[in-house]
Amino acid sequence: MADRAGWQSAVESELRAAGRELEVPPAGDLTAAVRRRLEGQAAGHRRVPAPGAGILRLRLGWRAALILAVAFLAALIATPQGRAVISHAFRFGGVEIRQGPGPARSPGSHAALPGERQMPLEQARRQASFPVLVPAALGRPGEVVVSDRGRVVSLFYRRTPYGLVRIDEFAGRLDQVYFEKFAGLRNVTRVAVNGTKGLWIKGPQELVYITRSGVPVIASARLTTGNTLVWGTRQVVFRLEGNLGKPAALAIASSAH
Amino acid sequence: MRAHRAAFLLGAGEESDDVVQEAFVKAFRHLSRFRIGEPFAPWLLRIVANEAKNVTRSRRRRAALALRLPSVESSAAAAGGPADEALAAERRAWLVAAVNALPDRERQVLVCRYFLDLSEAETARVLAWPRGSVKSRISRALNRLRGLLVPGEQNRVSSG
Repeated sequence: MADRAGWQSAVESELRAAGRELEVPPAGDLTAAVRRRLEGQAAGHRRVPAPGAGILRLRLGWRAALILAVAFLAALIATPQGRAVISHAFRFGGVEIRQGPGPARSPGSHAALPGERQMPLEQARRQASFPVLVPAALGRPGEVVVSDRGRVVSLFYRRTPYGLVRIDEFAGRLDQVYFEKFAGLRNVTRVAVNGTKGLWIKGPQELVYITRSGVPVIASARLTTGNTLVWGTRQVVFRLEGNLGKPAALAIASSAH
Repeated sequence: MRAHRAAFLLGAGEESDDVVQEAFVKAFRHLSRFRIGEPFAPWLLRIVANEAKNVTRSRRRRAALALRLPSVESSAAAAGGPADEALAAERRAWLVAAVNALPDRERQVLVCRYFLDLSEAETARVLAWPRGSVKSRISRALNRLRGLLVPGEQNRVSSG
């Protein structure tokens, strides 16, 4: 019996050694290939004759899948094994909201955007690459943080009737395609803020910051608290987050100027 | 790339790039089936293994799929040519030839466990088999290798 075990482990280590020497041809460029495939399939759908709305839905679906693929590849390289994986992705102007089947991390973890710097509102206005809006309904923010070399400005209001309210403003615009895709989700409803399109998202989601070059910043990943309102103009996207209801969020948002 | 190596060793051969491409596209489409907290690599490799199986099933060209070591001569030369190295290389070449000759399932389980260095649990996930089948097929495959290798070993000794 001992002899048999000895023989087995000898073969096992011999097999492992052989495995390390096996000839495997080099792999092709996967990212490009997968992208081409998804784009090719999107083009294929476009040629399918179907009622107008149907075509639109298919195209939306595939465009969204493409972004999902790209974001996913980035995540594969950048994250440890077993990290939460996207089931729906919505991306605009540099921030991606991921909606997974369960919370991946607890709220209030030390998530940070790249290059966060706290400063007075006036200085933030000078550093931001867009005009910063402040909601009159809340008044002056208690804390202002500028991140990623002026790309993002965050306003923090700690003493509101709803507890902490956070507003992120960043250079970017709502992409129509992803807007429509995300608006179809169960806990998301369309809203209008001062004539611009917006989304009301009930409940927490995992939020990840994506750099200009499209790479998710893993250190920025966190679970949002309360509910979220997202709206935007052509130059700036706003994200309001806190334990407040839709009417209050809309009132605050529409007072921003 | 681990997925590519898995596709190749599981029999996709020249079509490994296509298999991995197909597997990635399928993975993106089925991301919602991935359970949060589950290790990601085995989940993806399972899709790769499935695609590799589809390719080999439709092809049935076993000879072309055989796994190969670098030729004994070149590896011995690279190692400076000591006799021990040459013998070890020859022994491994036999071993790989023996693995090539195994029935599909036994070859697959050895590829996962020893050539891809997956754990028993990961192997079970990748091949979509119960853990018990992984164990029993490994032990059957190892026994078969012994049967294939031991007579070869004797022949070599008596003829040399």
